[in-house]
Formats: sequence, C-alpha cells, structure tokens
Amino acid sequence: MTTVVLRTTVRVVLPIVLLVSIVLFLEGHNHPGGGFIAGVLTTTAFALVYIAYGIEFLEDEVLDRGGETGVPHIRHRIIEDYRAFFALGLAIAAGSGLVAVAAGYPFLTQAVAFVHGVPLYDDLELASAVVFDLGVYFVVVGSLLTVLSVVGGE
Amino acid sequence: MSADLTTVLAVVAVPFIAAAVTPLVVRWLGEATAYFAAVVALACFALVGVLAAATGGHPSTVSVGWIPAYDVALTFYVDGLALLVAGLATGVGALVFVYSRGYMHGEPNQAKYYATMLAFMGSMIGVALAGDLVVLFVFWEFTSVASFLLIGFYTGERSSRRAARKALLITVGGGLFMLVGFLVVAAATGTFSLASLVADPAGTRASLQAAGLYLPALGFLVVGAGAKSAQVPLHVWLPDAMAAPTPVSAFLHAATMVKAGVYLVGRFRPLLVGPEAWTVVVATLGLVTMAVTAVLAVAATDTKELLAYSTASHLGLIVAGFGFADVVGAETGAFHILNHAAFKAALFLVAGILAHEVGTRRIAEIGGVARDLPVTAAVTVVAGLSMAGIPPFAGFYSKELLFEVSYQAAADAGGLAWAFPAIAVAGSVFTFLYSIRFVMLFFGDRPASVGAIHRPPWTMLAPPVVLAGVVAAVSVAPQTTIDLVVGMVAESAGGHADFHVGVPTTLKPPVVMSAITIGTGIVLFRWYDRLHTGIAAVLDRPVLRADWWYTTLVDGFTRAGATATPWIQRGALRTYAVWTIATMSGVTLVAYVAAGAAPATVQGLDLAVPIVLVLLVALVAVATLAVAPSHVAGVLTLSILGFMVAIFYILASAPDLALTQLVVETLVLVIFLLVLDRLPAFYGSIPTGRGARDVVLSVLVGATVTVTVLVTTAATPTAPINNFFIERAPVPPTHGSILLDYGGGGNIVNVILVDFRAFDTLGEISVIALAGLSVLTLIGMRDRGETE
Repeated sequence: MTTVVLRTTVRVVLPIVLLVSIVLFLEGHNHPGGGFIAGVLTTTAFALVYIAYGIEFLEDEVLDRGGETGVPHIRHRIIEDYRAFFALGLAIAAGSGLVAVAAGYPFLTQAVAFVHGVPLYDDLELASAVVFDLGVYFVVVGSLLTVLSVVGGE
Repeated sequence: MSADLTTVLAVVAVPFIAAAVTPLVVRWLGEATAYFAAVVALACFALVGVLAAATGGHPSTVSVGWIPAYDVALTFYVDGLALLVAGLATGVGALVFVYSRGYMHGEPNQAKYYATMLAFMGSMIGVALAGDLVVLFVFWEFTSVASFLLIGFYTGERSSRRAARKALLITVGGGLFMLVGFLVVAAATGTFSLASLVADPAGTRASLQAAGLYLPALGFLVVGAGAKSAQVPLHVWLPDAMAAPTPVSAFLHAATMVKAGVYLVGRFRPLLVGPEAWTVVVATLGLVTMAVTAVLAVAATDTKELLAYSTASHLGLIVAGFGFADVVGAETGAFHILNHAAFKAALFLVAGILAHEVGTRRIAEIGGVARDLPVTAAVTVVAGLSMAGIPPFAGFYSKELLFEVSYQAAADAGGLAWAFPAIAVAGSVFTFLYSIRFVMLFFGDRPASVGAIHRPPWTMLAPPVVLAGVVAAVSVAPQTTIDLVVGMVAESAGGHADFHVGVPTTLKPPVVMSAITIGTGIVLFRWYDRLHTGIAAVLDRPVLRADWWYTTLVDGFTRAGATATPWIQRGALRTYAVWTIATMSGVTLVAYVAAGAAPATVQGLDLAVPIVLVLLVALVAVATLAVAPSHVAGVLTLSILGFMVAIFYILASAPDLALTQLVVETLVLVIFLLVLDRLPAFYGSIPTGRGARDVVLSVLVGATVTVTVLVTTAATPTAPINNFFIERAPVPPTHGSILLDYGGGGNIVNVILVDFRAFDTLGEISVIALAGLSVLTLIGMRDRGETE
C-alpha cells in the first residue's frame, strides 16, 4: 500500500492531523475534544505513517530511535519509548490527583484559575484538569501505539 | 483499667515489621537470627503481659478507623481467652526460636524460615486479639498461608509440597466456611463487631434465632473451626503437615495455629451455647475426634505422626469441653488449651531432639536412650504423663473436668447422652496407651540400630525444659494457675472465673472414670504391639481412611479438569468468542426477566428526515457487508456504518460523542487495513451450520443491546443526575479568581471525565495502560508456556 499517492497524501495530511489533535486537546475543557480524542487522533497520525512508509522509516528516519530490543518478538526499540510514554501518562494523572491531596483537598479535586489581562486572550481560564487530561492523552497515545507497533511488527 | 491502643497495635505490628527486616538481619547475623526472632517474641510476650496487667483479663476494646464509610474498623478485643492465645503464640514462639538455632543449623533459606515464622506469630496474635469479624478472618487466612509456606519449607520434596497443598486446601477452605458463618451472623445481627456481639451474647443468640439463622451460623462456624483444628474428618492435613521442620510442628501444629479453631469455638461459645444443637454438634464432634484420632495415634509408626494424631485428639477434647452447655465445659476447654500447648510443644521438641541425635523418627527403631539423654527423658516423663492424664500431672485436672461435665450431661439428659462419657473414657484409654508408648521410647531395650548418641546443644535442650517446667508448675499448683490465668479464660468462654480442681479425695463419678481409664490402659499396654498392628490392618481398607477420600476427591477433580479442558478450551478464538458473547447476552436477558425489568414503551416515532436518511444508509451498509466479496470491502462497508452512527450523533446534538466515534472509527479502519494487508483476500465461503450459528448469535447480541437501551431509558428517577452536572459543570455567573466547587468548563462531557468522575477515568486509563502491557507481555512470552 506504499503507493506514491498515499505517501504524498500522508505528507500533506499529517501536520494537519497533528495540529487538530493538539487543538482538540486544548479546547477540550470548553468545546468538543479532550485528552482521549486527541490521543486517538495522534495515534491515527502515526498509524498513517506506518501504513505509508513502514515502522522502520518512522523509527530510523523521523525519530532516530532505531535498534533492537533484547525481548524476543518485540523487535523495535521504539516500543520501549511508547511504554515509557503510558507510564508517564499514568504518573501525571495520578500525580495531579496527589497535588490536590497535598493541598488538603480530596484526591483528584480540580480547580480553575482565571487570569486577567493576558495579551491576545485577555481573560484566560486555567484549569488544573488540563494536567489530568494530559495524563489521559499520554496513556492513550502510549498504549495504542504500543499495541499498534507490536501487532504491526508481527 | 482498659487496654491501651498503642500497646495492642505494637504487639500485632512488631512481628510483621520484624519479619520484613529479617532478610537484612540474616545477612548480618546469619544463623544467630534465631536470637533476634526470640527477642522479638519475648518483647511481644512482655507486651501481652502488660495488656494482661492493665486489663486484668476484663474485656476491653480498642479501635482505630479503617474504612469509616463502610463502618469497618480495625478493632481489637482484649480478654482472657485472647490474652491466653496471644501469650501462647509469643511465649512458645520465643522458646521455639531459641530451639530453631540448634535445629535449623546448617539449613538453607534461614531468612525465609524466620520471616515466615515471625509473620505467622503476628497473624496468630492478630487472630487472638481481633475484635472485628473481618479482621479476624484476614488474620486467620494469614496463618493458613504462613502454615502453607512452612509445611512446604523443603520445596524440593514432593511429599512436602503435597502436604502443604493439602493443608492449604483444607484450612483455607474451612476459612471460607467460617467467612460465610461470619456473614450469616452479620446478616442476622447487623454488625461485624465481635466486641459488641460478645458484649450481648443473649441478644446475639436471640437475633440469630429470630432470623432463623442459628443453625446455619453454627454449621458454618464449626466447619471452619474443625478444618483449622483438625477435627474428624478434616484432620487429614495434620499428620501430613509433619513434613515441616520440627520447630514448626511444635509451634504451629501443636501450640498455636491449630488452637485458632478451638479459639473460635471458645469465642462463639457464649453467643451460641444454650440450644441443644450446640451440644449435639460441638460435643459430639469433639468427642468423636478425640476417640478416633487417639486410636489412629496408636497405629502411628513415626514419632511426629503419633504426636500429630495426639494433637488432633487433644483438640477434640478441648472442643468437646466447650461443647457441653454446663459452665464446667468452658473451664475444661480453657484449662486444656494451656495444658496441651505446654506438654505437646515440649514433646514435639523432644521428637526433634530424637530425630537429630538418634537419627530416626521411626518408633520401632528408638528405645532405651534415657541413659544418653537424661534431661530429655525427664522432660518426656513429665510432659508424657501429663498427656496421659495421670494424677497429679497437669493434664489430669483438665481431663477430670471433661469427665465431670460429660457425666453431668449424660445424667441430665439420659438415654443416648450416656455415649458422651463412654466415648470420653474410650478415647482417654487410647490416649493413655500412646502417651506411655512415647515415654517408653527412652526406656526398655535398646534396638541394635541405635548408634552413638550426642548430647543436644543447649539451645535445643533449654526450651523443652522450660515447657516441662511449666507443666510441672501447673501440676504442683493447679489452683494457682486457675486463679492467675485459666479463670479469666473460662470467663471469656462463658464459664466462671473461680472454680476448683485438685487431686480428688472423695469417690465421685469422674474419679471412677479416671480409674477405669488408667486401669484399662495399664492392662492393654501389654498388648500394645498387637493393638498397633491390628488397627493398622483395619486401616488397610482404603474406605476407612479419611486420607483416601481426600486423595480420591482431589485426584478426581484433577482428572475431571484434565478431561473437560479439551472440550471447553478448544484453542480456537472463534469458539471462545461464541461462548463469551452467548453467555454474556444470555445472562443479561435472563437477569432482566428474573428482575422483571420492563422496557420503555416506544410511543410514536418522530424522526427528522436527515436522521431517517442516515439510518437508511447505515442499513444499506449492513446489507452490503453481508455480501462483501473480500475482507477489505467488508471493512470499508463496516466503517460506513460507523461513520453513519457518528453523523447520527451530530444530528442528535452530541458533538463530543460524534467526534470520539469519528476518531475511533478512523483509527480502527486504519489498523484493519494495516492488518488486512498481510492476510489472504478472502477465506472462502463458511459452512452453513457455522453461518447459521453466527446469525443467531448476532441477533441475540442485537436483541440484548436493544432491550438494554429500552430498559435503561424506562427508568424515571426523581432527581436525575444530569441536572447536577448541567448546573455544576460550567463557570457560574459570579466567581472568584479560583474556582473549586464548580467544574468551570463549557464541555460538560469532558468536565465529567476529568473532574466529577476523574477517579473513574483514572481507572479507565489504567485499564488502557494494562492492555498495552498485556500485549507486550503476551507477544514477548509467546514461545514460553505450553512447550515448557
């Protein structure tokens, strides 16, 4: 399926997909979107690259993380990074809850702060839930990419 | 005075902490870790002493909140019985640890041994002091696990592993019965708090009877206690448990763990005694165990086997004592717990010395070693005669109490109840026989097989001497023992604190029974060998051996499992999917019918034109899917269906759902294409039978989903939760610069996900992460498993 048409399309579409996923993530608090959707979309972007160029291209040329793991059947070292990714996501999500505990509130209490007079935005709403959502995003991206790469590597 | 929370927590926690640091201590002290463990046990013994001094044996409750939302608290209840069992666990523990220094010399896995023993000691203290049924159950199962690890200590030996498994199956299985019993009690009385149950025994009994749950509670609790305390026919694990190192047998399987079941009977005696069922069940169980296992002990050929059966027999005596409704019953049990722990632990330690110094555990190969082991022989005489129940040794007094109470019960009830004293005497005759046989190991002729005998090291000699000293002290001053210790224990079990024992001076029925016992015993002992071979010959018939039943049952299950597996686990994913899906749908539908759930009635479909169009397209996609010529075409048409659902969401004003559906649908499609690239284009046609089955299955799934939607939307709650979210999710009109009470977001779905129900989301992303890990593990370990 690595046709020229597909490769060219992926080249054009990829940045847009990634940008949209970031927007969806940031907008999630007030508009449709959120960590889960953004995570799945980011994964889709990676999946497109896999289909069009193959996993070796992604890990060697784009991310410069070629090489082999010591584990049988799991050839690509990039999978270790994905694994670290979802571990990090879980840590962020759980950690954001612990911050609330440290401040004396129940686990996972979220807060919203309003900052006035920010250039461009004027009134900016900062939600602590974004941190938790970032954890969700990382977990989704890490896990789905792990599954995708391991199964795709078969 | 009442118990101090800090002291109670310390006495329970210290052994566990010590167990945790044991591996480090072993690295530092090596085999001298025995002394570390002994010091820990002594410290705990001292703390139990402090508790005893502070409370004077009067009931006292301390509590620390655990799960306040469910009213579960870490409650401890301190009274006479609790203090005695905790005192035995720590006191005998200290002696056994010192003994282990000599016995375990040169053995591998010292860290595992001492850590497990210490953890066991902590669990046993926990069982004794638990003031809450849940806490009691947790510690109870801890002791079973510790026992499992210690019986299977020699992991290289098949018999050890088998014995460990057997003990675990029976004691943990019994523990589950006990748990059901606890649940029954809690259901009837509405509380798990042992302390409040014990505080009002009559009320507890009344509410159990009112709920009609008295007999179930009694049954389940007795099975639990019987499994732990090796009562017939669940005694089979105890003789096998002798595969453990001897100090373990002395500690767990003589003095403490097996006492947990007895403790349970004693603890619940005040709550349940009264109705005739109690005496019928408990006293009969105890007496039958006492007699049967005493007979089996005579047939034993191994010193530890003899002691194991004897332990079961004496536990039966204690259970029987508790089983009689008269107050003397409680006193019998309470007194014999102490006596048995002292003399049986001493005898086990003696058996360990014999095994070490003579080099065998076979009874026939030991004899006349008193000259070489004079101190050990003296210990054996004191402990053995106490076990035989010969006046004026300690065991005599508690046995006299049993004779007294069984005679009393028979005299009161008449008829069949005369079997009680008769069985008690018969069991005691055999107890006398095997006790004397054990003592005679040190006297008489010396078999040629006995070679040169070394003196045991002091670490192995001192503990049995101390225990024999305790036996001697109780023998000399039984009344003082009662006043100091046993009285308060008897009070916990529903007896009187002040009762009297002593060498009898007048001729009363119990005295006659004792005389018969000892007289018959002396006469029969001349034919001990004939009795021994005779009983062994009878036991050759497998149906008469409880062990045969256990083996047949367990092997039967194993075989049935092995036979059934190829039928159920075919190895084809398709079969698994069929069964899983069919079961899930079937169970759900049956549950709806059973619960009488009524689906919402659909009133007049009022659909906008666009929605109708979208649904029509979806239907066409489904129809095309069924006749798709290749996998790729099938997947593509399937995704049309998915995208139509997304559009349906948009039309139904659910942008977030639509977005998620779109993104997931895209990803699934992409992954499908990635995989399909490597698969054959089409497998060919499927057999008609399988096709029909799949059609039925898919209709079933569709029906389940439809019914579920209709049932769930039929509910009309008075205060729907969506109002809460709609009010709380957005930014309120007036607010400060920091907002805590509200979600503060325009997207309610996302605010629910990351704020109101963030804990749920945390769970869900953990599942996603686990799925990733599982795939990694499965693929990474693919070559292992069935081939190995």
